[in-house]
Amino acid sequence: MAMRAPLAIAAAILVLGGLVASVLPEYYLRLFNLSAISAVAVIGLNFAFGYAGLISLGHAAFVGMGAYGLAILTTAWGWSPWLAMPAAIVATAALAVLIGYPLLRLRGHYLALATLGLNVSFYIVTSNWIGLTGGTNGIARIPELAIGSLALSGEHRFLCVALVTLAVVAALAAMLHASRHGREMMAVRDDEIASEMIGIDVTRVKITAFVLSAICAAIAGCLFALHVRFVAPEDFTYAHSITYLAMLIVGGEGTIVGAILGAILLTFLPEWLRFLGTTYLLFFGLLMLCILVFLPTGLVGLGRRLRLRSRRTPPPASVGVPEMTS
Amino acid sequence: MADFIQLLVNGLAIGSVYALAAIGFVIVYSATGVVNFAAGQFVMFGTFAGVVTLINAQLPWSVAYGAALAIMALFGALFFITVYLPLRRGSIVTIIIGTVAVGIIMQNAALLSFGSWPFRLPSPLEDRVVNLGGAIISTHALGVVGVTALMVAGLWVLFNRTSVGIGMRAVAQDLQAAKLMGLKVNRLLALSWVLAAVLAGVAGLMLGPMWFADVNMGDPIALKAFAATIIGGFGSLPGAIVGGLFVGLSEVLGASYVSSAYKDLISFGIMILFLLVRPQGVFGEKIQDRG
Repeated sequence: MAMRAPLAIAAAILVLGGLVASVLPEYYLRLFNLSAISAVAVIGLNFAFGYAGLISLGHAAFVGMGAYGLAILTTAWGWSPWLAMPAAIVATAALAVLIGYPLLRLRGHYLALATLGLNVSFYIVTSNWIGLTGGTNGIARIPELAIGSLALSGEHRFLCVALVTLAVVAALAAMLHASRHGREMMAVRDDEIASEMIGIDVTRVKITAFVLSAICAAIAGCLFALHVRFVAPEDFTYAHSITYLAMLIVGGEGTIVGAILGAILLTFLPEWLRFLGTTYLLFFGLLMLCILVFLPTGLVGLGRRLRLRSRRTPPPASVGVPEMTS
Repeated sequence: MADFIQLLVNGLAIGSVYALAAIGFVIVYSATGVVNFAAGQFVMFGTFAGVVTLINAQLPWSVAYGAALAIMALFGALFFITVYLPLRRGSIVTIIIGTVAVGIIMQNAALLSFGSWPFRLPSPLEDRVVNLGGAIISTHALGVVGVTALMVAGLWVLFNRTSVGIGMRAVAQDLQAAKLMGLKVNRLLALSWVLAAVLAGVAGLMLGPMWFADVNMGDPIALKAFAATIIGGFGSLPGAIVGGLFVGLSEVLGASYVSSAYKDLISFGIMILFLLVRPQGVFGEKIQDRG
């Protein structure tokens, strides 16, 4: 019973992803790869924000740590990507513990701005520590992933890697969601004091959620580095962090399917709007605003709302007092 | 020593601009609870309102400044109606993403209207310098500090001596109670957005001659304003001023005495340090949300 939902999600990703991949032309496959990589990162963000309610505007920094970790280990140290990947992920997780302990004492806006500061600092350090990161020139010539003599390069082959990774991450996330740990995280999100009263170690739960989110970010970062085979500070700015958060909100916060749908939509949307020429970013912003105003529960919520249309329930009464008065 | 005075005045001038941006941010935050991620784009719009009235329309100084600020006031009211009212019931993150989306819209609207080529916004005090014990100080920088001081004094009078300002403070403190006391809450909330936009306009008009008027100038200003509010104390007006001046000084002094590459790391490092050690900032009071 407990295994059914995770397996269904994993199977759906592989089957649907495979079907889409067989009809898409090469260029769209590239975007599809990037969506899958973003989806891994956004599922990670869902641990921190969707489940535990930690607003992170520094997620891209963890994606960047994974990507730079892999890039540095493979180019400067000559490691195989298969070895560099776990090393980069473990290093990112360790950094997340170090950063999380002091930072997670903060909540709400304060945590948001602190993580934003973290992301800006990451950008400044990666663009200026030229000895380690190559500065704004970035790191090029990252080796490709290969099994024996079979190189996993090219959009088609890489998509297999990306989809399998996404399926595994999504299945694990679904298992966590249904587990005691997932429920603990959601309890902490909904009421911290009440969770503490019933014996949940709030600090431990928050750190766990934060580190899990950083691990997924690092996996996405490694995939990104291996896909593009070039990393630069511009790929991991706080604007990217906000995009990850927007993907989660647009898809539907707190759900794995929402995270994936949001990642796909916001990766493809700029392409679909390309016919608008130079005004496409303007419309991108307008569309995002409209989704937030008219679909506050995201794409997943839209589906749910359509199904529930017959037995409509009134929305929960909201309190008009701004949050800051608490 | 002469170098130091010169840097000090420049740091205070740029810090004044950050302070005004931070004050606008704080006024909106305490009245409406909205963390406005488009705050930097407000300042950018202020600069470009100046480009329209000073460069395109070639109006005389006083008319041009008045017209630019009137445009900003209108913009603040428009923002209240089209962005704040639809989003006000959303969660913190919805509002964050929403204001970011508006920021993207504003930045690209400016890009489409003005192009990516930066403008040089003139200043009435341009090219005049005073010699202060060997330090060459631009009168524009001094003017910026003076105007900011006047604005701060005006705000103090507004919030402490006028019924409108006291009403705005009441709304910020307890919206329900303010409503029960018969205050026109919506009008006061709208006014706080207008005030924030006008302050951003003043900041933009003063910043234009110091930097270039560039459509991408918004984000760095927003980040500095955030750092300033955290350091000074979230929701505190004196905090925004002190924080803004501090960030400006650390940027200018840090660039010349420490490292120009890492100058921004100083203010953000100090911001994170404040969040960890003294999250209520220099002036803020302790609130549970702050950690």
